[in-house]
Order: sequence, then C-alpha cells, then structure tokens
Amino acid sequence: MSAFRDFLNITRSKMISLGDPVASNAVLSALQVSGDDRIISIKEGSNADSNFVITHLIKQIVHEKNRLCLVNFHNTIDHYQTIGKKLGYDLLKGVEDDSIRMLQPIKELVDNIEQEDKYLQENTENIVKQLYADIRDCLRCLKGDNKLVYLIVDDLSHLHDLGVDVKDTLSFTHYCMNLTDNNDITVVFNNHVSTKTDEILSNNLQYVADVHVEVAALKTGSSRDITGLLTIRRKSAVNHYHYKAYDRGIKTFHPGESIYHLYQ
Amino acid sequence: MVNCDSSRLRRRHFICPLSSSLVSRRLSRRVEGKRNKQTRERKEGEKKEVQVTSFPRFCWRYYQKLRILMEKKAQKSIPGTAYSSQNGHLLVSSGIPSLDTLLGGGIPVGTVMLIEEDFHGFYSKIIMKYFLAEGIVSKHSTLIASQDVNPSNIIKELPAVIDSDLDSSEISNISEISDKMKIAFRYQNLPTSDSSKNRGRHIGHLYDLSKNMSFSDIENSDICYWTGQRIENGTRLYSNPAYNALLRSIRNKIRDGKFYLKDSPEKRSVLRIGVHSLGSPMWLPHRKSLHSIDSTRDLDKFIFCLRALVRSAYAVAVVSIPTHLYHEISLERCIHSSDIAMRLQAFSGTELEYNQSLAEYQGFFYLTKLAANNSLASRHPGTMEYAFKLRRKKFSIDVLHLPPEFYNVFEYYFETDIHDDSDSKKQDISGCGGHTKSLDF
Repeated sequence: MSAFRDFLNITRSKMISLGDPVASNAVLSALQVSGDDRIISIKEGSNADSNFVITHLIKQIVHEKNRLCLVNFHNTIDHYQTIGKKLGYDLLKGVEDDSIRMLQPIKELVDNIEQEDKYLQENTENIVKQLYADIRDCLRCLKGDNKLVYLIVDDLSHLHDLGVDVKDTLSFTHYCMNLTDNNDITVVFNNHVSTKTDEILSNNLQYVADVHVEVAALKTGSSRDITGLLTIRRKSAVNHYHYKAYDRGIKTFHPGESIYHLYQ
Repeated sequence: MVNCDSSRLRRRHFICPLSSSLVSRRLSRRVEGKRNKQTRERKEGEKKEVQVTSFPRFCWRYYQKLRILMEKKAQKSIPGTAYSSQNGHLLVSSGIPSLDTLLGGGIPVGTVMLIEEDFHGFYSKIIMKYFLAEGIVSKHSTLIASQDVNPSNIIKELPAVIDSDLDSSEISNISEISDKMKIAFRYQNLPTSDSSKNRGRHIGHLYDLSKNMSFSDIENSDICYWTGQRIENGTRLYSNPAYNALLRSIRNKIRDGKFYLKDSPEKRSVLRIGVHSLGSPMWLPHRKSLHSIDSTRDLDKFIFCLRALVRSAYAVAVVSIPTHLYHEISLERCIHSSDIAMRLQAFSGTELEYNQSLAEYQGFFYLTKLAANNSLASRHPGTMEYAFKLRRKKFSIDVLHLPPEFYNVFEYYFETDIHDDSDSKKQDISGCGGHTKSLDF
C-alpha cells in the first residue's frame, strides 16, 4: 500500500496525466514548450518538411484550450484539418467556437491576382503592414479568459516570394515580437531556408527565440529508417533527435537509437 | 442410410396422423421442390466455382456489392480520376504508368508539378505531352502555355492512345489464357503480377509515341492556347508582364470553366495546365521595362501564385523549367512552392552516353520532392535511384539496375587473349565477379 501511495504522491507532484499530449506524444515531449516560451522559431531546411512541428504544437494548444491565430501561406485549411483529425483534434470545431482564427493569404491570393491589391501590390511594404494589421485585429478578438494566445505564421519565407524586402520582413517579425510584451501572447515563426535572404531571416529569429527548432534532412542522403534531424535549441541546452515520419504520427529518438524504437 | 427428407416427412406424418392426403401431397411437392432447388443450387455453385475459384461464396456476394457501389461512385466521380486509397487524394494520371506508381498512384488534383528540364528539353517535353494527351483522352480541359514554341504544335504532336477500353480487353485476355494454359495447381489461382497492377491501380491509358493523336480527338476537346502574344504592359508586379498575363488567363479559365472548389457545375471536370519551358530566355524582362528586378524573383512569385490558384480549384499544373540556365539556389524557392519536383539528366552529349552499363537508359531521373499533403509522411521512395528510357513507342521510368558483371568478364577474356602483357593491370580493374580464373574449385 505504501508503494502505491508513493506513486500517487509522485504523480500529483509532477502533475502527470495520461491524456496530456506533452507527456504521451513523442514530438511534444521532445519540444517541451511551456507557457513561458514567448518566441518560438522553426527553421526548415531545404528538402525537409517542418509542418509536423506546427501541427503538433496546434495539438498542444487545442488540448490546453488556448487560443490560436494561424496564418497560412503554405498550406490550406483542409490540410491542417486532415492532419488534425489524424492527430486527434478538430481544427474546424475550434474555428466554429471562435477559439481559433485563420488568416489565409493562400486563399486570398487568388482574388488578388485580378485586383492587384493586398498580397499582390507594387508597394511591397504595404503587404506586411496590412498583414500585421490583420493579425493584430485577430489577436484582439481572441484575447480574454486568461488564456494564452498563440500566433503561428506558416511560413514566413513566402513573403520573400511575394517580393517583400528582407528589411520589411524583419520589421514585420519585430512588430510581431513586440506583441509578446503582453504576457499572454506567444509567437511561432516557421521559416523555410533555401536562399541567403532566408538564412539572414532565420539567424535573426534564432537569436531572439526562446526555443529554436531546426528540421533538416539527413546530410548523408536519404535513409529508410530515419526521415530527418530535429534539433531543439534553448538558451540552456541543445537537444538532437532523429525522427521518422509515418502517415499518422512521428517517432523521435536520440541519434543511434533508431534500431531500438523501430524494430520492436 | 435413411434419406434426411423422407425421415422428416415421416415425422410430420407422425405428428399429424389425421392429416388428409392433400397435406401429404403438398408436403411431397415441397420436398420435390427442395430437392430440385438443391440440385439447381449445386449446379450453379459449381458454375460459380469454375468462374472464380479464389473467392468463397459469401466473399463473392460482398465483392459484387462492393463492385456495384464502386461503379456507382465512379459514375458520380470525375472521369479520368480516382481516389487514393491511402490518403483520400483525388488523383489524375500523368499518362506514364511507371511515373504514376512512383508518385503513389498519380498526381494529386490541386498540386503543382515541377520538371527541371534536361539539357535539350527533349525528354521533359515528352512527359508534358503524355500529361496533356491523358487529359484529352480523359476529356479534361487543357490549358497549354509556351513562349518558346507554338503551343498548338505541342498539341499536334501528342501521342496516340493505344487502347481506350483497356481494362475489359485485358480481363478477357486473362480468362482466355487461364483456359488454355496449364499451371501447377498451387499457382493456378494466383493472379499474375501485371494484371493485378493494371486492374486495381492504374487510372490512365497507354500511348504510342510513334503515332500522333487523331485530329478529331483534339478538335472535340476543350483546349486553351496561351502564346504570350497579347500582353498588357499595365502591371509592375513582375519585371516581365508575361507572367502576370499567364496567371490572369489561368484564373479566367478556372473562373469561366467553373473549376473552383466552391463552384457546382453540372458536370465536374479537371483542368490540366501545362506550362512549357517557363523562365527560358524568352521570359526574360523586356529591354524597355524600367524595373531591374532579378528575373528569378518573377519565377518564385509566379510559382507561388500558381500554387495558390491550383489549390483553390480542380486543377493540376505541370511546369517545365530549363534549370541549367539558372543557378541552383535560385530554383530552390520554386521547388519549395511546388508539390512534386523532378529533375531529368539526359546522357546524350555527356560521357555517360558511351557507358556500357547505362546503355539501356537515356538518362537519370531524380525525384527531388514529393510533398506530404494531407499526411505527415511523404511517399518519397527515398533510397531508390531511377532512370528513364525512351523506346520507339514508349517512355518509361524504371529503377536503375546495373547489368551483371557478365559483360565485363567477356571483355576481359577477349582482351587478355590479345594482350597478355597487360594481364596484371586488367585484373585490378575488373570487379569482384570477374576473377573466375583465380578460383581453385
């Protein structure tokens, strides 16, 4: 009986619950993102896909019943919804409940081709200005109830495609980071790195971020057992993981330990 | 042995002994009816068993029901498309069966496929032709754009379809073969590997590269040509207004043909967009333009906008880019914006052309990117290496297999007979399989 009491005491002290995805999910337990992390930057190497980090973060946000503002440059809402169902959350339900708001430049871009405004305009500085204004309005609506509000931008490098200068993109990120002065906002930037300008942007983000996540393909080529390398840098420590992507989930393991996890 | 039916009959008589002869007559009729039914069923069962030996009877019924359901679903669905069993994507065929299997069944609708052209752009054009030909045969709408060549010429050179009613003829062939041939009883009921592949998965048709598609087929289909002749100079978004003009015409085509996801036309179809040799010297900014923006920026913006357009509609885009004219880094952004990216490296004009071990193939095929849409894991084959081969009638992409050391052994012996002096050198060069002489047994 005494051992059982000890076990209960430990679980109470550490607040472990089996339904908590941070404890049970491989990616989230590797990330260990808490409410204190204000700026999270994700660097996506060429030939790698960091989308799983975002979808897993959304899982945590939905589970903790926090608020979310998602800016989609790269993927459509259907993509997030399909993956969300696989990971065990319903994004559209969150949109209906008004706990999740979506800004969809990828959708609005279609109308902008004809009208040449908003995301496709000659004055590229206005693109980021209008985007920031939209984000600010969104966050204002989501605030309240003492809940954390997350802003996720997927992905920032597409601003470069739209013709926005690095200088303007940096000032946009700076404005977004200033939002975190309010203690209830966390900003997540996903950035695909392929050109030098992307690199500049990513290095800047890495410098200011509380958590910097790097997703890269294997340097040595492709492998059957490992999809890529996941590096999580905090100010205190750096953790390296290998990960293997499956249709419905991700497995993470320390380098060299894949054999113990994959062939059980 | 007592017959089961007769014993039941006796029992019934025993239970109701007062029953009249009428009852007994009725019963006897029933028994006869049952017997007849049983014999009929036996005969029918035997017939069915002859037809499909691999299915038990209850499985057969479910299979029939499932087939009817699938057929109904197919009637509702768009011609020339199929849903992926793995992730539920709506797929269209690229026209090349081997490429379809490599991409996981076909090209998902709403995606951009990027082809990095080979040096002369010859093989990438063939892939483009297959893609467009498949669209015309499947009665999809087509938009073809090119500044280098007249797009109508590309359409004229499309390969002819071999057999439009492929499936039924193949199945009948298989049944004929199974009647004639005698196979060992253990393997008799196993399907041959080729037939299973074609029946279940492949949604496309087969084409003959040596013949051109008939003129009537082309005339009857909905094809939109974009030559870049009439370009308005109003926009300043791009250094070359042609990019913007093409985007607008694609958008107009999507709007007019009701291809948007939100639209509900009477008969749903898919728009196939083929952009040939995008970003070639013909797409460079005009001399008169005041802007001196880097021309690769135009390409990045165009592909990103195309991605957004295609995502919002029932459309598939295949874009070929002459990469060797660009720096490697500048195209990475385009690859990021596209969903499928592939690179062709032809052997012609290089030293690989005379390589004996690669004589079977015309070039290397690299699948640079296969995006994970609606899924966490990409279906990229990873470690496999591919090469493409062009025959007189057919273009295909195969796993690269080097021939056995066999050839080298012949060469080795042949040469050693003539030049005995260089024997020691030759032994070092030949591979591990070639040293048969040094073996003791």
